[in-house]
Amino acid sequence: MSEIGGSDLFVLEFGDILHYYTPYTTTLFVLALIFTGLAILSRPEGQVDIAFGGDAYYAKETAVSEMRFRRFMTIACGLATMGAMGSGDIFNFTLFASLVGITNVGIVAAVKSRHVLDAAYEYGIVAMVATLPLFGGAALILATTGTLSIPALAAGGFAVPPIGKALLALGVIGEGMAPFYAAKAEMFRAPGAPYVIMCSLSSLLIFLRVVEIAITI
Amino acid sequence: MLIITRISRFVSNFQNLVALFAGACIIISLAGILSLPLGFEEQQLYPKTLDPASSLYPYDRGGVPFGTTEVVVQYPENSPYAGYVTAYLTPLSQYLADHTHYLGTTIVAHPGGIIDEILYNTRGLDTVVETSILFAAFAIASYLFRREVK
Amino acid sequence: MIADYSIGLLVAFASAGVAFFALMRETDGLHRLLLTDLIEVVTLAFIALVGTDLAEALILPGLVVGVSELIALSEIYRVKEGYVRPPAAGLQIEVMESAPGILAAILVVYGIVLSGFSGGAVAGLGVIFYFLSRSHSERFELIETASGYSWVLWIVAFFVFMLLPEYWFFAVMLAGSAILVKVMAKMSLIGTMRGGPDV
Repeated sequence: MSEIGGSDLFVLEFGDILHYYTPYTTTLFVLALIFTGLAILSRPEGQVDIAFGGDAYYAKETAVSEMRFRRFMTIACGLATMGAMGSGDIFNFTLFASLVGITNVGIVAAVKSRHVLDAAYEYGIVAMVATLPLFGGAALILATTGTLSIPALAAGGFAVPPIGKALLALGVIGEGMAPFYAAKAEMFRAPGAPYVIMCSLSSLLIFLRVVEIAITI
Repeated sequence: MLIITRISRFVSNFQNLVALFAGACIIISLAGILSLPLGFEEQQLYPKTLDPASSLYPYDRGGVPFGTTEVVVQYPENSPYAGYVTAYLTPLSQYLADHTHYLGTTIVAHPGGIIDEILYNTRGLDTVVETSILFAAFAIASYLFRREVK
Repeated sequence: MIADYSIGLLVAFASAGVAFFALMRETDGLHRLLLTDLIEVVTLAFIALVGTDLAEALILPGLVVGVSELIALSEIYRVKEGYVRPPAAGLQIEVMESAPGILAAILVVYGIVLSGFSGGAVAGLGVIFYFLSRSHSERFELIETASGYSWVLWIVAFFVFMLLPEYWFFAVMLAGSAILVKVMAKMSLIGTMRGGPDV
């Protein structure tokens, strides 16, 4: 086994599920915490459309209820990301990743625009079918090793099948869509800057975390 | 046209995203079939033991109500009271267990039992996250629904 | 045992491949949403293959994640396609006037006896049926608030288990009844989601 995260700084025990924080995951956790704080404090950007060929421009209004809903989803997304960073149990991690996926869809789905809703729907379908590789990978690891705890798996003595790790990584890609930045640009047309950034940040963080898990176990 | 241009054009259209992800999953499924057979670890947590004669079949894990019973948990030191919920039966389910042989079909729905032990106690955080997912999904649905109505 | 597991995995991987192939070929939005169910079933098969009590307990979160994402996605689909109102005012059959009260009462009482998640589902089914057959004038937000508070009670029960394990009995009862109210409220809201003036 290889410890890329460093030694444990802090362990939180919830029965069979441990949350542990190594220097690596603590860094990611603090990043998620700072961004959640920023999302709570900041005000949404006001988008301005400029009419081509003239001096006219329109300011897009963001309704208060929409703003509040998207802020709620952003905070939920931040909390889910923080949970996923510390989780020391594979199945628990996959559940946090699913929560990140659904709140990401929620952040964009509140926008009243046909184009953005189309994109949100496609991402939602991907996030939904990504539960197969996620839970499938966790179940495969449970069946072949007899445990789900990451510290126990990292202690050695278990032969984790590579296909289980591959399924887990693919599932997290589906939930976070981290490599699909080209397609994700569609989301940035949605007004409301700090909230949309949270989508990208959370997917990046859970992707970094699953790499650490795949190497550690 | 360069091949890279074609690929990036395909990826940039979000209508193709589902097809792309499904294709990746097909490849992984094929890899999964090729990696068979996989060995099944016999030392599992929370193993199933079956006793068809018991009225709690297939959920009979032994123990008396308000006493403890043996449960194979990952970290026994974190759950000193593991086993109490497993052995507990409500008065109604105790009555059913004493008089019929079919409590096993409905015990999952009554408080107490091994499934409640796992869901509420030892792996309670899983259920907390799970209900939060339900909460978030429902918040999205009801927000969209109510905005339409107004 | 070892051979059995590998055969099961073979079937599960093959069905996953078929399901994803169907999803890849499908281009219609609604059909894609329906095909995701095919994939959810294979997910549950993967978990069920482990065959321990733990697997049985893990199926519940797996199922709930699929169902809740389905709720959110179908609402997004409805909004994006602009379907606003149901086409007709519902069925006008005599039995829909008399039966709902009795059936709903039986299902709710049985659900409360069962308690917990499945009890909530049974009781919620009764309430859905009642709201679907009758015209409703209840407060949408009120049910939502009840559901939110029961979620908090559920979290309280979790912390009792973690911090004060000697009160396990209190925590089991609290969790069982909180999740009953929560699931029932959520399901009954689905019954009211038909549009209409009073929601």
